[in-house]
Formats: sequence, structure tokens, C-alpha cells
Amino acid sequence: MSNDYLKQKRLLLVDDEEELLHMVEMILRKDGYTELRTAGSTEEAFRIFREWKPELAVLDVMLPDGDGFSLFSRMRRESDLPVLFLTARGEDEDRFKGWDMGADDYMVKPFLPRELTSRILAILRRSYKNENPVVRLAQSSIDFERAEVQKGEERLSLTAKEYELLTALYRNAGRIVTIDQLCEAAWGDNPYGYENSLMAHIRRIREKIEENPSKPVSLLTVKGLGYKLITEETL
Amino acid sequence: MKHTLRLIRRFVFILMFSVILLFALNVILFIAATYDETNARGGWQWAEEVTEELLSSDGNGLKLSQKGAEILEELDAWAVLVADGTGDVIWHSDNLPPEIPLHYSAADISWGTRGYIKDYPTTTASKGKDLLILGHPKTRYWKQMWNTWDYDLIKNAPGTILKAAGVNLLVIIFIYMVFTFGFLRSVKPVVDGIERLPEEEVHVRERGQLSGLASAINQASEKLRSQEHALKKKERAQANWIAGVSHDIRTPLSMVMGYAGELEENRALPDEARKQAQVIRLQSVRMKNLINDLNLYSRLEYTMQPLKRSKVDFAAVVRLAAADFINSDLEQKYPVEWSMEEGLAACVIDGDKELLGRAVNNILTNVRVHNPDGCRITIKMEKEKGKDGKRKGERGKDEKRTDEKEKDETRRDETGRLSLIIEDNGTGADQEQLKQLKNTPHYMMCGRNGSSERGERHGMGLLIVRQIAEVHGGTAEFFQSQEGGFGVKLTLTLEHIAVMIEKA
Repeated sequence: MSNDYLKQKRLLLVDDEEELLHMVEMILRKDGYTELRTAGSTEEAFRIFREWKPELAVLDVMLPDGDGFSLFSRMRRESDLPVLFLTARGEDEDRFKGWDMGADDYMVKPFLPRELTSRILAILRRSYKNENPVVRLAQSSIDFERAEVQKGEERLSLTAKEYELLTALYRNAGRIVTIDQLCEAAWGDNPYGYENSLMAHIRRIREKIEENPSKPVSLLTVKGLGYKLITEETL
Repeated sequence: MKHTLRLIRRFVFILMFSVILLFALNVILFIAATYDETNARGGWQWAEEVTEELLSSDGNGLKLSQKGAEILEELDAWAVLVADGTGDVIWHSDNLPPEIPLHYSAADISWGTRGYIKDYPTTTASKGKDLLILGHPKTRYWKQMWNTWDYDLIKNAPGTILKAAGVNLLVIIFIYMVFTFGFLRSVKPVVDGIERLPEEEVHVRERGQLSGLASAINQASEKLRSQEHALKKKERAQANWIAGVSHDIRTPLSMVMGYAGELEENRALPDEARKQAQVIRLQSVRMKNLINDLNLYSRLEYTMQPLKRSKVDFAAVVRLAAADFINSDLEQKYPVEWSMEEGLAACVIDGDKELLGRAVNNILTNVRVHNPDGCRITIKMEKEKGKDGKRKGERGKDEKRTDEKEKDETRRDETGRLSLIIEDNGTGADQEQLKQLKNTPHYMMCGRNGSSERGERHGMGLLIVRQIAEVHGGTAEFFQSQEGGFGVKLTLTLEHIAVMIEKA
């Protein structure tokens, strides 16, 4: 069980630096992606976008015939494909502009290959999780479409909060998700003061996904900071 | 206007002082000038002295003594002795002018006593029942002939003098005020202009007596503004230049980092080559951090980075930065130990979330740079409780939103200061370096002696930490940790702190 289905997604890479495009393409191919196309200008990118219908785009902000932000809004008018901005512009204004426009992620160059691949994977997971609803864990599996956990013969349904928490953890599988991020995912914008509540929910999730909830192997505590979900694919 | 009032007060004081001084001076001068007059009592004294020197001689005649003669000679005066009853002159000095009569009626004597005899001013003294008349040279004395004063005039003199003095003073003050206000009216714009000069652009109307001054102020203002503008332009250009350079470096550096990362993981390569690729990758990461720091540094320094203040839970910021740090530590060389004061829930401060995260990130990155072989990191958050640890009602709304399960919890909000302490057990810094970190001004970010045992510098990254703490009204301290490593203590002011109290 793996991310194979995600790695078959069509990825469009747009940057005015041919060398960089070449490198990113190589990094992604090595990571298992097969459907990749590149573009060096907004026009070319938009043409490919229309013809090829990519399922994720990595956009540079500064392009020879326009900027990535406007390319992004043109694309968004026709589809809501997930977008990762990859740019040399690191100023806060640019970053916030990217976020405000609804970009899925914003990365400032320079970057490490692993950083890029993990962020792309995270976006794909988030955007296409329902296509492969079953995530396998060490001792159980989570079916996100049905909001159920299969442990042995047992089928246990997830409450709304448990579902939100597991989604947040799965998006960042293998990485620490802080207490605050989890509270925000489950309780929204003003998440102060839910720590104890969160602990209770985590305990109940463990009861569902772990063989021995007091000795968890899939949903790990990072003391004081947060939690980490270990899936089969992250192992 | 404050200055002007002070000026007026001062002027009035000086005026009063001068009036009093002048008065005193005049009195003294008057006394000095009339001193001789007072002694001789206007010539009357001489008459008495001459009378005393007029001695009887040989039984029948009168004779002036030697001393008397000398007095007369010195005064250049003549003298006659008029007998009582007859009005005849029974003695006279040798130098008697011929026009002086030798017989006097009672009216003549009264007239002569009050005024002049043949234009000679006279003084008299009695010798027994007889009268000695001393005649002085014509230009020796003025005589006041009608020397009577109205009784009331003398009686009321003190009041009259006081009134006159008062009127005089009022007149002087009036003249002064009219002049001063006229002057101040023309000075005021100039004074105002000078006062405003440090803050804003000033233009003073150039007219009246002080137009020269006004135009000088206008020129100074123009010069100041243009210099300020030039300086700002220069700073902006500098910051933009740095931003531009760092932008241009990012793309090539991406490729260095990207390919180095790929080579490092390429199992077809010999170990040695992969290790070298790793060095390239690590160093390019350092360059990346340096570029980010440099850019942020110049933006903060030239205040081109406006603070995006909001209510931030600093604990969440630190947790996120720590989690990012651990997530990126794939080899798990930097175990992080987290400890937060028991019961602390949210530490809300008024700050810029991004910048605060950046500060924590810089501290952690600094640890990694200085300890490539890994080390243990402890992150501690404590509150330094303020005296007014009080409840705040404004959080009441949020309380109601908590889950039903948490009804047995209440919040207590406290203000005070919050400190974040991040320590490691790796490479420390010696006193010299710590001192340097503490004292280095922002613009001298790369001290030459700043190298530690490993030849690494605790450089700009930490200065940015300090900068960020300072723009938030807090402090950053750098110290030697208990385990010999490096330590940073960040102290910030709490907006409020939420403490969870579990009810039994």
C-alpha cells in the first residue's frame, strides 16, 4: 500500500529557469512521479493547463510574460487544481498574497529536494485523499471515505472530531503536528484551551486504531509538542 | 508659547530690577553731589564762623581775627556787622565793595536776609543783638527767595511720590508691552519654526524685521528634509539591493542544493563523493539561512518590515518551530526536550507571528550550525508572574466554547513576562563571544573575532533574534548553558496568560 496512485497524478511545473525546471523534473521523477510537464512562460503553461488538465501545478511567481499570481487566478477560474508556489520571492507580502489567493502551499527558494517532494505529496494527499480512502497503519487501516477504522475484524466509526484530527495527522504523516495545529483543525480559529479535550480525543482514536492504546505504535506522542501519525507509507 | 511666556516673565523681572537699581543709583548720586552743600549749609555756616572770629579789641572797636580774615579771603566774601536798633554798620571787612550801603532799615535787613544785597548772595549770623551779613561772590549761590510750601503738599508728599512712581512704572510697562508684543508677533513664527524643525518640514513667512532669520530657517528645513530624504532613499536602496541580490541568489542556490541533495542520495556514487555532496548541501543550506537572515535583517534595520501585530499564542509559535525543526531533522541527531511550566495553556502576546517564529527558528538553526554532529536541546517556557496576576473577564466568551467535558476547568488569566529558554549541551561560546554578541551593534554583524572552537560564528542569525525581541519590547540574552553548551533566553511581555486549573 503506498502513494502510487498519487505519484501517477499529472504535475505541471512552471519556471522561467530551464535548468531549474530540469532539476525539479528530475527530482520528481526519481521520487516516482511519471506524469510531468514543464513550461517556461504563462502562455505555455496555460496552454498545457487547458489541453493536458494537470492535477497539480508548481508555479514560479516571476515569469517572462507575466506573474504566477495572475496565471494562478486564470487557472482557478477554470478548475480548482491544487497549486504550490515555488519562488525566489521570500518577502512576507508575497507569501501572504499567495496564501490569500488560495494557494495550497508556498515555498521559497532555495529548497532541498526532500522538502519539495514531501510538500507536493502532502498537497496531493489532501486534495485527492478520497480517491484512495484507505490508509494502512501498523495495526489497522483508516477508511476516510466512510470515516471508519478497520481493526482486525472490527469496523469502528469515527466521530467528526476524530475524523478531523486524523485527517490533519494523515496530511502530515510521519511529521509532528503540533497540539495547536490539531486544535485548530478540530475547533477552528481560536483554539486556545482545548489541550485536555484534545488528549481525550487522541485517547479515543488510539483505542480505535491501536492494539494496545497505552503502547501506541501508529499515533505517537511527542511530549509537549504534538503528535505524529505513522502510516505504512511513511515507514 | 511656553518659551515666549518664560521670556516675558524674564523681561519683566529685568525691567523691575533695572528700575529699582536706577532709583538707588540716583539717590546715591544726588547725595554725593550735594554732600559739600550740606556741610556748609549753603554758606550759612561761614557766616557763623566769621561772627565767632569777630573779637572786641581795645575796649572800643571790633577786630577780625587772623583766622576770620583767612576765611573771608578764601571765600572771596565781604562782611558787615549791622548794629541793633540804629541799623548802622558798626564794622565791615576791608574788602567791602563800594556799592554796599552802610545803613540798613528793617526792610533792608529782611530783604537782604531772604535774598541779595546789590546782587551779592548773602548769609547772616547774629552776634549778640547785632547781625553779621556775609556777602558772597555773585556767582557763588542761588538763593530761594520765596521759600514757603503749601502745608498739605509737604504733608501728602510721601503719597504723592508713591503715586507718581506707580504711574511712571505703569507707563514704562505699557511701553515695554507694546514694544515686546510687537516684537514677539514677528518672532513667534520664527520660534515656532525652529521648534518644529526637528519633526517636520517648516516654512516661515519671510517678512518684517526678522525676514533674514525666517529665510535661514526655511533653508535649514529644506536642507534637513533633503538630507533625510536622501538618507531614507539610500537605506531603502540598500535594503532593496540586498533583497534583489538575495532574490537572484536563490534560484542558482536551489540548483546547488537540489543537485547536491540528489548526489548525496545517489547510491551509485562512492561514499567519499556522497559525503562531499553532503558538505555541499549543508553549506548551501547555511548560505540559504544567511541570505534569509541578511534580507530580514536589512528590512528590520531600515524599518521596511512593518510588524504585523496580532494576538499570538507564543507557546504555539514555539511548538510549531520546534516541530518543524524536529521534522526536518531526519537523522534525529537533535533530540528536543520540551518543558513548559505546569498548567500553562496559552501565552498570548501582542506580536508578529511570522517574526516570532523566525526568532525561534533562528535559535534552533544556530544550534544545528554549531553542532553538526548533533546535540540535545532543551526548550523551556516559564512565566515571570507580574504582580497583578488577576482575572480578566474578556476571555469569558471563549470559555463557553470549550467542550462539555471540560466544564470542570476554569481559566485564570495573568499578565507578566514570559521567558523562553533554549539550551543545548553542544558547543558553547566563551565569555569573549558572549560579550561580543551582547554588545555588537546591529550593523556590525560579522565580528572578526566571533569564531568559536569550531570556527563557526554565532552571527547574524542571533542578532536577528535580538532584533526581533527588541521590536517586540522584549530582550534576548545569550549565555553558557549549564551543560557547557549555548543558551538563549528570550523574554517577552505577556498580553495575558491562560492557566488551566483542573478542579478536583
